[in-house]
Amino acid sequence: MTEIKRESPVQFKVSPLKVEARDNWTVALEYDEEGQGPWLVDLAHKTRWDLQDRKVGELTPCDLAVPEAPGECTFADNTLINRMNRTQASIFHLGAEAPGLPDFSGYTDVTESTVFLALFGPKAFFIAEKLTALDFLDPAKKAPFLYQGPFCHVPCQIVTLEKAADGSGGFLLTCSRGYGDSMVHAILEAGSALGLRPAGENRFNTWIQGLQG
Amino acid sequence: MNRLNQLPTLRITPSEKLSLNYRGKTVQGVAGDTVATALFANGVRVFARSLKYHRPRGLYSLDGECSNTCMDVNGVPNVRTENTLLKDGMVVREQNVKGSADRDWLAFIDKLDWMMPAGFYYKTMHKPAAIWPVAMKQIRKAAGIGVISADYQMKGQYDEMFIKAEVTVIGGGAAGMTAALAAAESGQRVVLLESRPHLGGCFDYRVSTTAEGTPLYERARDLAEKVKLTGNIRVFKHTSMVGAYNNNLITAFQVGKASDTFTERYIEIRSDSVVVATGCIERPLIFDHNERPGVMQVGCAHRMARTYGLLPGSEAVFSVGHDLGLEAAVDLFDLGLKINCVADIREDGQNPELMLALAERKIPVLKGWVAAKAHGCKKVEKVTLSTVEGTVKRQFPCDLLVASAGLTPVTGPFILAQAKMGYDSHTGYFLPTELPEKMFPAGRITGVNHPGAIEASGRLAGLKAAAAAGADVGKTVAEAEKAASVLPGPERGCKLVTAPVKGRKSFICFDEDTTIKNIKQAIEMGFDVPELIKRFTSAGTGPGQGGIPGHNLPLFVAKYTASISTPVPTTVRPPLVPTFLATYAGYNHHMFKHTPLHDSQIADGGIFRNIGVWQRARYFSADFDCREEILNVRNNVGMLDGSTLGKFRIHGPDALKALQRVYVSDMSKVKEGRIKYSAMCNDDGCVIDDGVVVKLGENDYYFTTSTGRAGQTVEWIRYHTRFDGWDFSLVNLTDAMGVINISGPNARKVLSKVVDIDLSSEAFPFSGYREFLIKDAVFVRAMRLGFVGELSYELHVPSSYTQAVWDLLKEAGAEFGIRNFGVEAQNVLRMEKCHVILGSESEQRTNLLDLGLGFLWDRKKADAKTVGAVALRQAEKDAGRLKLVGIRMEDDDRPARDGALIVDNNVRGYVATMRKSFTTGQAVGMALVESQLADIGTRIEIFEDECNGVRLYARVVATPFYDPKGERMKS
Amino acid sequence: MALTLTCPVCGKRNGYEFRYGGEDKGPRPVEAGLTPAAWCDYVHMNKCTAGVQKEWWCHRDGCGSWFTTWRDTTQNLEVAKPEASK
Repeated sequence: MTEIKRESPVQFKVSPLKVEARDNWTVALEYDEEGQGPWLVDLAHKTRWDLQDRKVGELTPCDLAVPEAPGECTFADNTLINRMNRTQASIFHLGAEAPGLPDFSGYTDVTESTVFLALFGPKAFFIAEKLTALDFLDPAKKAPFLYQGPFCHVPCQIVTLEKAADGSGGFLLTCSRGYGDSMVHAILEAGSALGLRPAGENRFNTWIQGLQG
Repeated sequence: MNRLNQLPTLRITPSEKLSLNYRGKTVQGVAGDTVATALFANGVRVFARSLKYHRPRGLYSLDGECSNTCMDVNGVPNVRTENTLLKDGMVVREQNVKGSADRDWLAFIDKLDWMMPAGFYYKTMHKPAAIWPVAMKQIRKAAGIGVISADYQMKGQYDEMFIKAEVTVIGGGAAGMTAALAAAESGQRVVLLESRPHLGGCFDYRVSTTAEGTPLYERARDLAEKVKLTGNIRVFKHTSMVGAYNNNLITAFQVGKASDTFTERYIEIRSDSVVVATGCIERPLIFDHNERPGVMQVGCAHRMARTYGLLPGSEAVFSVGHDLGLEAAVDLFDLGLKINCVADIREDGQNPELMLALAERKIPVLKGWVAAKAHGCKKVEKVTLSTVEGTVKRQFPCDLLVASAGLTPVTGPFILAQAKMGYDSHTGYFLPTELPEKMFPAGRITGVNHPGAIEASGRLAGLKAAAAAGADVGKTVAEAEKAASVLPGPERGCKLVTAPVKGRKSFICFDEDTTIKNIKQAIEMGFDVPELIKRFTSAGTGPGQGGIPGHNLPLFVAKYTASISTPVPTTVRPPLVPTFLATYAGYNHHMFKHTPLHDSQIADGGIFRNIGVWQRARYFSADFDCREEILNVRNNVGMLDGSTLGKFRIHGPDALKALQRVYVSDMSKVKEGRIKYSAMCNDDGCVIDDGVVVKLGENDYYFTTSTGRAGQTVEWIRYHTRFDGWDFSLVNLTDAMGVINISGPNARKVLSKVVDIDLSSEAFPFSGYREFLIKDAVFVRAMRLGFVGELSYELHVPSSYTQAVWDLLKEAGAEFGIRNFGVEAQNVLRMEKCHVILGSESEQRTNLLDLGLGFLWDRKKADAKTVGAVALRQAEKDAGRLKLVGIRMEDDDRPARDGALIVDNNVRGYVATMRKSFTTGQAVGMALVESQLADIGTRIEIFEDECNGVRLYARVVATPFYDPKGERMKS
Repeated sequence: MALTLTCPVCGKRNGYEFRYGGEDKGPRPVEAGLTPAAWCDYVHMNKCTAGVQKEWWCHRDGCGSWFTTWRDTTQNLEVAKPEASK
């Protein structure tokens, strides 16, 4: 009998060392030889919502304010709210569990729509500059902030959570799910010279816990 | 050859030996050598033969401004070896030679130059016409540079990067480094590009001193150290700028060192402002045999000794027009070069200190003299000097003739940035008359040569660039302006370009073997504009990209035509230096979408094709007619991965209005639990998309689009409602759900083993829509459609679960012999039912009515301003349009190919899709034909490519070809 | 490649992130009494100004907004709104 299992759009060539079953996903917690960074983590299992409403700025998903200006983000309690435009925001649940979709027609669960990756660690942005002209290290931008733009020619939502002038820091990236294989291949190829390795959810958790203080 | 191994200016590491293979022999170079300097150290003087005349060519400029040292390196032809760093184990060969560069059997062609006046190939090769192909073959054998085979695979890693900076500085000499340091003071991000493998520019190899008494090479190293320690300057060495575009976009490429992971790297920099500190190259002096091996420019001779430790000759004559030449003579004399004479074009104006130094060394100096002819075959043996008027001549023996008319600023970046260029009669340079926005010149390009002035102009330009990028440095700029103003300004340049010669063997362009005589011939034929003469004589169109003839051509033309207007320079275009296509291609990532079932489709033997942004399984066997796949759907049950289908949610108060705008049907009639098929048109009434719409709730809909349109749907709906201010939201769910199409008479039996709901035709009829859970976990949207003409369920399953559900169905279907079918089988199945695929049965001009889909159009919803309705109303009255009809070949074993033309004496239409139908045994298909051919029974004539005059015949028949009443799909 | 455009949501970006949406011709003409020629002109005829013109662009690779901006077609540069049209 076929087991009901969920599959991520992203598959790394190496097998994880430690996994955990969660909501039918097989979540990779740790990989062998994750290295000293930068790291690439698959977050496909993390719940993402799309929220659209004419008065989106007045809404408070998960009791958090939707930021005022497009490109701004709110990051607290493992929840990230990214203002996309006048009427739209995206919500990423980065913790182990996500609340149920609120009973309001403006929400759409888009977890299944996208590839969801985190790229972070030393030189993370030197990998990014091989794939996009977006200016992550713009001194005028304060993390966290959202870019909607091309990454390796594919339209993406990219949230920079941390950055430093030496190119270290990290970001979350979502793009159409179908691009999973191509995107991971491109990122790992561009990052190979800088030591980019796949990593598990544990390392991601350590990173974002550090960011939230 | 012994090296001067103790010089403090060296850029080589003499102790680190590298070897290269040259003409089958292993020779030694050292780390820091270029391929050309390593060969020179091993006694090579003739590096290549010229394009047309097979003249011997040697080291001339060291910066790759001509093809003299182009060779084949590791199988790559036309590599400029003089600026290619030596790597251990390189294999170097000569090109365009029969024999060797030293002994080339084709050298006799040099004597045949009288047969090849300017433009001879345009004028002689067309009559008689029969000669042309034969002559072309012979010419191509004899002429040309490197050879590459068509299937050559470029080796190496090609990196790319896209950088944002506030200030980009092009040129890492003293001015560039000073500019970068100044711009970086305000904390801005600065990118510094240097084409050589090290910073330093014209300071790097000179022992003369700054006003403070520091040798220039030391000063350059100090500045380089400061640059290195400044965190906000990113330095790219061995990086040539190749393009400058609008909004200060600079493109460049970097050559990787042995320790780098990349071979070459394409760099694109978007910055707010740009400093151009590209400095100067030397202006070639034109005289007879001015490109003989042994003739080289001042900087080349000087750097050979100072940078590479190689004395460029033993006995030299200098023919120069600027103080750098005198400085080099003094320095090279001190390094051991015997100098028989220094001829200076200038009568006066020399730096007195240098004149004194020459006198102290008892080097004879002739003022107002110039080299007129280099003697010797494969290398210089002696030189004839002449007064600039040509009245008196004298000969001197030498094996090195250092020749240079003056300096030429490297203004390529300005020209690329669309600056207007004008002739400056003081310096003799072509300089921008008006600077492009936020672009600032620094250093020698402005005409200054005094070391202090070079640095001061660099600092000023750097500060100005920072200010233009938004830094608050107004006061500092004023101070820098004042500091620069007290230093020597632009120097008066020497204007002589040609020695007093007739010019039959005086080369203005080395790459293309263009002589002064050729230019004169072109002018005599009526050409008067340098830009046209350049094209007619091909001067400046070779690998050096005009580096050698750049300034000389317009100046010579102005002089020779006795033009009273100021000379006009020829233009340059990107790439400014030859660049590998592989470098431009970079990673060349293949970005394709895969469905959630991709891997299992591969495992099941799917043969994939790129279809738009997706890779899809088109066939599941080597039988591209798909007989088994098709018959299994007709007689049993098959499964198709339809995940590429566009899927969207639209919600919000004005959602229905938006749908009414873009769909031709009345979308207010969409009922819950039912699907509605409809189409979208463009403003011409032409069909652009079709799909189904499902109502999820009040002003909440789910709809599908064709695979190809999915990417543009949101954009399309927003565009056509942009003036309305409506409140609706669109969510693209294309990738959120995989689509499994299960079709065939046994589909219900298979599905019922997996789902719990009542699947009977009464409970879930054709055109019905249901939502349910599979295994209490997987939320599925199911539709009963009939695209392939059988009982068919389309399941929209969350992407992460799609594989699991597919596997359940496959398992359930095993007892019925369920199997995959691919896109081609689907294409035939739907063709038998005459269901259209937009793009197959339609092209840009095909409207809704032409396809027979007029029934979808609701004429009454005028308020909706439906996109396409205006044009459709007009097209209804138009009798001259094509109609979609079904056709059957008279010979059922010979289907016409898709796209075959329907003809009589004119083209009357075309075959859209046609296949041999296994279900009916007929060759049938759909065609778009003129309306007078659309009646059933009409015989039509078909023309196919390569049909050798034989026509095919078919008749218009009733549609669909299969199950006309639709009983099977509604069963 | 070198063109930059200023998206009202995302700011200044490389031109290749955008799709050109044609010259700004205003909303569609009223359908009542519209002649085929007038409709065709609205859909297909362009001024092709050699100079500054108002255009529609879509930030296709970014936020997806449609917006108008001014571009000097002779230089392919986005420019400020001309004085006269303010």
